[in-house]
Amino acid sequence: MITMHEVAREDVQLVEEALGGNQLSFQLLIERYQDRIFALARHYTKSAVEVEDIVQDTFLKAYRRLETFQRQSSFSTWLYRIAVNTALDFLKRMGRSPVQAVEDPELSASPVRAQAGSGVAIAAPDARMRREEIARITAEVLSELPEIFRTVLVLREFEDMPYQQMADVLGISIGTVESRLFRARARFKEAMIRLYPEFAAAD
Amino acid sequence: MKISCDDARPLVPSYLDGELSEAQASPLRTHLLDCPACREVAKEGKSLQRWFESEPESIAVPTGFAARVARRAFAGDPGLLVPEPSSSPAGRPRRTLLPFLLVATAVAAALLFVLAVAIQRESLPRSNNLEALPSRPPWLDAPAADASTPETPAAEAR
Repeated sequence: MITMHEVAREDVQLVEEALGGNQLSFQLLIERYQDRIFALARHYTKSAVEVEDIVQDTFLKAYRRLETFQRQSSFSTWLYRIAVNTALDFLKRMGRSPVQAVEDPELSASPVRAQAGSGVAIAAPDARMRREEIARITAEVLSELPEIFRTVLVLREFEDMPYQQMADVLGISIGTVESRLFRARARFKEAMIRLYPEFAAAD
Repeated sequence: MKISCDDARPLVPSYLDGELSEAQASPLRTHLLDCPACREVAKEGKSLQRWFESEPESIAVPTGFAARVARRAFAGDPGLLVPEPSSSPAGRPRRTLLPFLLVATAVAAALLFVLAVAIQRESLPRSNNLEALPSRPPWLDAPAADASTPETPAAEAR
């Protein structure tokens, strides 16, 4: 079994080789991460062509900035950071980033967190629902959220990222990750109940 | 160690996300066993997480994607920020829209300028023939009554 450490060491090795002019090494790096970056980009657009554009642009940018990659840090985190920024830039360029956070998401976390559990609650998806249906509803609800909230939910819930990695990808503190995630979940529940009131949790 | 609801509630999201150390998680678990209200909060958090299923039918990575992108990277392709050459494997017609929009905007601006000048020139001579404002009748400006202006006969008639 390949450990995380081995993966990281191999990543750095491939980066060195690519910087030395080895195109195949860069191709191998792309092959390692393309599935995950495609999966990430899918949360920002439904169009297959646009998903491909975002992923391609992510890797082209990564290549141009390869010199700036710090060997001791994680290539995966560095790449995700480029991918998230590329996806957000893409939405902006397409004029499709209308949902901006009106409230300041960095407002002190404590008063909000103290209310944990208050407000709306949603039920788990019905056991008879197909995965496609759950995914469709979730995607629709996510698209209602400001990008800043959508991104933390995608990284946490779909990419299964620990808080520290999210903080590194987004360039924010762990405290900010927690408060943003808290608000994102509250907004997700609100949007879910607005669009699908049938999923409000029964009291 | 016992913790209160006030201490427990803020820890629930981190607990569900697997972010608590065992030293933090252990008293929380004990509290959740004892407290139905906090347990309900944790259950709601779990229910929410169940909505985030990864989509079963994902957009497949096209065959040869990595080789193509690596080739483009090494050929110095800067990506989407620059319009794609027409020889790109997947033609993306919407990118050719930008130059067209720029030209169209320039033409529109030029037309608008010409129109503005024309309107201004058109309006200049007319301004002398405008009806006078009631607050300032033209005969106040004109020292002698001008018989050629339509206002004068009306004023005389009064």
